[in-house]
Amino acid sequence: MNRIKEHPILGKTEDKKEVTIWVDGKALKAYEGEMIAATLLANGIKVFRYTKKRKEPRGIFCAIGRCTDCVMVVDGIPNVRTCITPVREGMKIETQKGLGSWERSENDE
Amino acid sequence: MMNKSVVVIGGGSAGLCSAIEVARAGGQVLVIDENHKAGGQLFKQIHKFFGSKEHRAGIRGIHIGEMLLKEAKDLGIEIWLNTEAVGINANKEIWVVQNKKKSFMIHAERIIIATGAQENPINFPGWTLPGVMGAGAAQTMMNIHRVKPGNKVLMVGSGNVGVIVSYQLMQAGIKVAGIVDVTQKPGGYEVHMAKLRRAGVPFYPRHTIKRALGSHCVEGAEIVEVDKDLNPIEGSEKILDVDTICLATGFTPLGELAWMAGCAFEFNPSLGGHIPVHDEHMETSIKGIFVAGDITGIEEASIAMEEGRMAGIAVAKSLGLYEKEEYMERIVCVKNRLSQLRHNINEGKNQQSITLPSKDRLLKGGVAIIECPQEIPCNPCEASCPKHAITIGERISNTPKIDYEKCIGCGLCIPACPGQAISLRNYAFSEEEVALSIPYEFLPLPKTGETVTAVDRKGQEVCSAKVVRVAESPKYEGTAVVTISYPRKFFYQVASIKK
Amino acid sequence: MEDIIICRCEEITQREIEAAIEDGARTFNEVKRFTRCGMGLCQGRTCRVRIEKLIARKTKKPPRQGNYRQPVRPVNLGIEGDILNE
Repeated sequence: MNRIKEHPILGKTEDKKEVTIWVDGKALKAYEGEMIAATLLANGIKVFRYTKKRKEPRGIFCAIGRCTDCVMVVDGIPNVRTCITPVREGMKIETQKGLGSWERSENDE
Repeated sequence: MMNKSVVVIGGGSAGLCSAIEVARAGGQVLVIDENHKAGGQLFKQIHKFFGSKEHRAGIRGIHIGEMLLKEAKDLGIEIWLNTEAVGINANKEIWVVQNKKKSFMIHAERIIIATGAQENPINFPGWTLPGVMGAGAAQTMMNIHRVKPGNKVLMVGSGNVGVIVSYQLMQAGIKVAGIVDVTQKPGGYEVHMAKLRRAGVPFYPRHTIKRALGSHCVEGAEIVEVDKDLNPIEGSEKILDVDTICLATGFTPLGELAWMAGCAFEFNPSLGGHIPVHDEHMETSIKGIFVAGDITGIEEASIAMEEGRMAGIAVAKSLGLYEKEEYMERIVCVKNRLSQLRHNINEGKNQQSITLPSKDRLLKGGVAIIECPQEIPCNPCEASCPKHAITIGERISNTPKIDYEKCIGCGLCIPACPGQAISLRNYAFSEEEVALSIPYEFLPLPKTGETVTAVDRKGQEVCSAKVVRVAESPKYEGTAVVTISYPRKFFYQVASIKK
Repeated sequence: MEDIIICRCEEITQREIEAAIEDGARTFNEVKRFTRCGMGLCQGRTCRVRIEKLIARKTKKPPRQGNYRQPVRPVNLGIEGDILNE
């Protein structure tokens, strides 16, 4: 398990509400409010997208929303920085290919 | 347009300290920070800070962060989170976007830009593979998000960030396969490296990373020795079995806003590159715009905080909030603290040998031994001793000296040392055995009565040892003190226990 | 020596950047226009420093600090505010 439940300095992680998110069609357990990238890494997923030109895998690099390597398609919207975007119940996340494409969900005008 | 008296851009160490100084003087100040929590890098720093009491030495970065946030709250400082300063001009007008939804302009009488720095990666074949990340990124994942960035790490860079994050990786239960640096000696404080050596982490001097291996993500790392011109030496390649490569290869000040506001810059490679020019009170070439923290040059967190204070006091003075006398008093105080912190960091590090206790003293019982040979600005050990047996003096970068005759072996200094450089040795523990008490910050904690493996300063196994006592106390600020007993002939050789 | 990617977002390599410098690009912004470095999602935040160093090395001059343009953070179009509602 990749979650650090007990830490010598930080103590035990607080119990948080569990939510379910969908990653490439698969259901994953996440904790409310945690960053998408953290959930993915906790579940052993390291490849978040493939680049446009060379189709190379990318994942977390800076983890603070600057480098944009961690972007994925979230609820139909591409280029979402997963390291600074918190999960929500029912969120749909897809491995991004290249620059992704825009899909409007029914709720968007 | 919104008008504010003082706006601080960046709510990290420097930003918060500057806001606190302005508020203390009676000024109105607004802090804006792009993150959902203020505190900047502080909440990633789970280690005890160095420096002196005024610098909050011995307190963990995370707790300093909490203290600063509380102080800011008590002073009624306004902090807007999820608020990005996306633009600025020389008229002190800031373009602000809040919660990624609302955009507006703020005009401020005084601005303090405390935007910190960004990690500077080095480039090598395979550096784009998932698994290669900044050392700060690894810290964010483990200390903020409580998720392991990987299971086996190669750390590239042995400055303070590299060695501190390596230790934190171990505390998170992650294996550190090695640290590489092109330098002959580690760049960080010797006490940080000593902790890692005791834990058996290999340091590869004069090595760099040649390539990251793997197709989908990092599956290994190829390191190579370099000559004095930093050229790789053919045939010296080694492959390390890792799934993560952390880059602790320097920082670059985030001067974009200061540049846009028209501030003059200078290029100083030893401070990280292009930095805004400022006077000794942190004012830039644009009147009314000040800078503080890593944006002015990459230094320690304690320096960032003092620079923040300096900028805050100067801003308050410029707004007429200070009487001259009080202002001078405060400024001189901050200047002294800054010079204490800056003393010797840039000069060569002196290695001084340690005097050991006399045989007579050893026979009397437990005595503290401090293995801190380098002149670094740090003195919590001095205040921790109830018998005043430890002396550092006014110049906080003096190496500590113990008067062994005054030392009663209470061990209070052991958890007080941020570098874990103090241990208590008891030659007279029993007929055949000696005892050693060391600071311990890993899980699982050893149990009294347990048999453990004692290791030397290089992490090499020496002998079996028995855990005599495991002491925890709120006074120890999260550091446990573990006492082990082992055969007398290994008295000074044993330095720690295998994790 | 292997060609390494320097601009992660646009996947531009060191050789391409050096070729641009040889062709006359002298600043980060000029390299950007030749190669697309710095035009990707991160807008040069990751590669700028490295490219300024490469330029400095090739031109044997100290690194020049290039232009920064606002906004320095990604801003969604269509957000409410004074600027866009003018």
